[in-house]
Amino acid sequence: MKQSRLKSPETILLNNNSFCTSSNFKEPASGTHPQYIPPWTEPYIIGVAGTSGSGKTSVAKHIVKAINQPWTVVLSLDNFYKVLTPEQHVLAEHALYDLDSPTALDFDLMLRCIGDLKTGKPTQLPVYDFCTHSRTEKTTTIYGASVIVVEGLLALHHRQLLDLMDTKVFVDTDLDICMARRVKRDMIERGRDLKGILDQWDRHVKPNTIQYVIPSSKNADLILPRSTDNKIALDMIIRHINNQLEQKSLVHLQRLQELGQITNEGTLMSRIVYLPLTNQLKCISTILFDRETSRTEFIFYFDRVANMLIHLALDQVEFGPSQDQVLTPQYYCLTDAIRSLQSVVVVTMVRTGDVFMNSIRKTIPDVKVGKLLIQSDLITGEPQLHTKSLPPCERTTKLLLFDAHIISGAAAIMGIQVLLDHGIEEGNIVIVSYLAEEAGLRRILNAFQNVTIIVGLSSGRGDSLSKEPMFRTRFIDDYYFGST
Amino acid sequence: MSATNYPNVFMLRQTNQLLGLYTIIRDRNTKRGDFVFYSDRIMRLLVEEGLNQLPVKPTTVKTSQGHEVEGFSFEGKICGVSIIRAGESMEQGLRDCCRSVRIGKILIQRDEETAQPKLFYSKLPDDISERYVFLLDPMLATGGSAMMAVDVLLKKGVKQERILFLNLLAAPEGIEAFYKKYPNVKIITGVIDQGLDENKFVVPGLGDFGDRYYCI
Repeated sequence: MKQSRLKSPETILLNNNSFCTSSNFKEPASGTHPQYIPPWTEPYIIGVAGTSGSGKTSVAKHIVKAINQPWTVVLSLDNFYKVLTPEQHVLAEHALYDLDSPTALDFDLMLRCIGDLKTGKPTQLPVYDFCTHSRTEKTTTIYGASVIVVEGLLALHHRQLLDLMDTKVFVDTDLDICMARRVKRDMIERGRDLKGILDQWDRHVKPNTIQYVIPSSKNADLILPRSTDNKIALDMIIRHINNQLEQKSLVHLQRLQELGQITNEGTLMSRIVYLPLTNQLKCISTILFDRETSRTEFIFYFDRVANMLIHLALDQVEFGPSQDQVLTPQYYCLTDAIRSLQSVVVVTMVRTGDVFMNSIRKTIPDVKVGKLLIQSDLITGEPQLHTKSLPPCERTTKLLLFDAHIISGAAAIMGIQVLLDHGIEEGNIVIVSYLAEEAGLRRILNAFQNVTIIVGLSSGRGDSLSKEPMFRTRFIDDYYFGST
Repeated sequence: MSATNYPNVFMLRQTNQLLGLYTIIRDRNTKRGDFVFYSDRIMRLLVEEGLNQLPVKPTTVKTSQGHEVEGFSFEGKICGVSIIRAGESMEQGLRDCCRSVRIGKILIQRDEETAQPKLFYSKLPDDISERYVFLLDPMLATGGSAMMAVDVLLKKGVKQERILFLNLLAAPEGIEAFYKKYPNVKIITGVIDQGLDENKFVVPGLGDFGDRYYCI
């Protein structure tokens, strides 16, 4: 089973210098700029269909648990029932409305949701209430799914939906067992009475099962008898899916590596703003590198350098002449009064960006703060988005993305992509870092030409401190928070 | 750091951000909370800039992975001296960068009879003659009281070139006077204003700094 941890081995995988000169790397066609393609624009889609009560949901849950990927989404067709008209609503209350026919499902909405996810946009999933037979007010917002499990009676019925799926599974369980399970579930979970359930079974469920559900099994790649009891078949499915996912992460990693090699120095590196290499920066950096430095000292001196970096980052904010006349206490009118034209929000990369929080709070006490958790897979080193919460932004808002230490740049690239997917303009993103590997900076700027990067020390600056191998190992947040 | 016409004067980089901060603290409608907050931010920048003027020496340290790094360490000890009352507002900015810094105090007021600045009180660290001194007073107008403070420091044995005078706002008249009398005292300032009015107030200025920071 795959596991993730904060301290990533991406250093090894992405900063392998021998790779930079390897011959298997292809130069991109001239004129086209390399692009970052995040894993969530090509989600792996698994369809799980089966008769009512066959155990589809259990199978779907089992698959999700076994592949253990972040941002795995289960789309249940049950939530995509069409909104009923008042007449249909009356029928439904007496269990006379045919919920099992393909016409009851809103396939268009489903395709739209999956379409959004495939283009990397956040999407709103409806939530259906079986007690009132209506869509509830609330929706579930889904973003960044790398695996989608589509589960439902008719998951393998609709042609366009089938075309989107990578693996299709049909759960085949004896109809008698299905009925027994359905009676139990509808009485306990959905608050129906026995007579209604049985009427519905005879009137709608069984005919539809025979007419639509069972025939759709021919669309499946694999028919799974006895649902989750069938350990061998389940293991085979999971092994197959894991193989496919590994291929996907290799492609993702390969693309990230390629971004590090294309050089376009002149224009690219102009987007980097270095902290002036002052006596203060040199002395503070020496203290931060020194293993004899206590944690109290480390935090104090890091906060000092963070303060300088934030000040430098805020120079990116646009100013314009003050709209109103500004008078001094002695009633002199200021001719050069200027005011900020942009609001500022910050987003920290958990945990390496959180080391800036103390300093930003002292600079802009009421700043809105978002968080992104991107961890690298322990085995492959592939960065994966685990969670995000973003502050509301206007079109002109300047966004500071805090990432204290850029090594491969992979996490920052993914972070920027998340921000772009949520409508932040590339030119308004300012990455704030203290230490940065040259290759990581290049990788970020190859993928996104309009972001600005604020850097304290980078391996390309050529002074005695910047030769330091410390650049390759994450340590800032470990020392700052005192836990590895 | 921006260049000035005087070799001993160092001015903060005149960025939009800095000028935006000055717009806020010059504005007569700015409330005291904001005045204090934004002047404190500028003071922090002045202190950082002052510290950058101090000499450093090469040193070698070992990282946690055992690599040796050729780095730098601070050379020489510093202390702060604030001119009561407005200068005391800058002590926190100094402490934010140098936690246990020693701070001396000097009280200079205008003598009602002679209209000249007069020294009323001074309390300074014993070993001040061996230290770099950050002289703190937010406004440099005529430079009368600050030059008197420098005189006190020199009498205590502090070397002229080891005095750094930190202020938020300086008038060209004050800078000129300082340069003539103490050409080796470094002046670290945020903004150089137009000049002085007939009451010797800095123009356009920001009002009485001490009053706005502590009282009004």
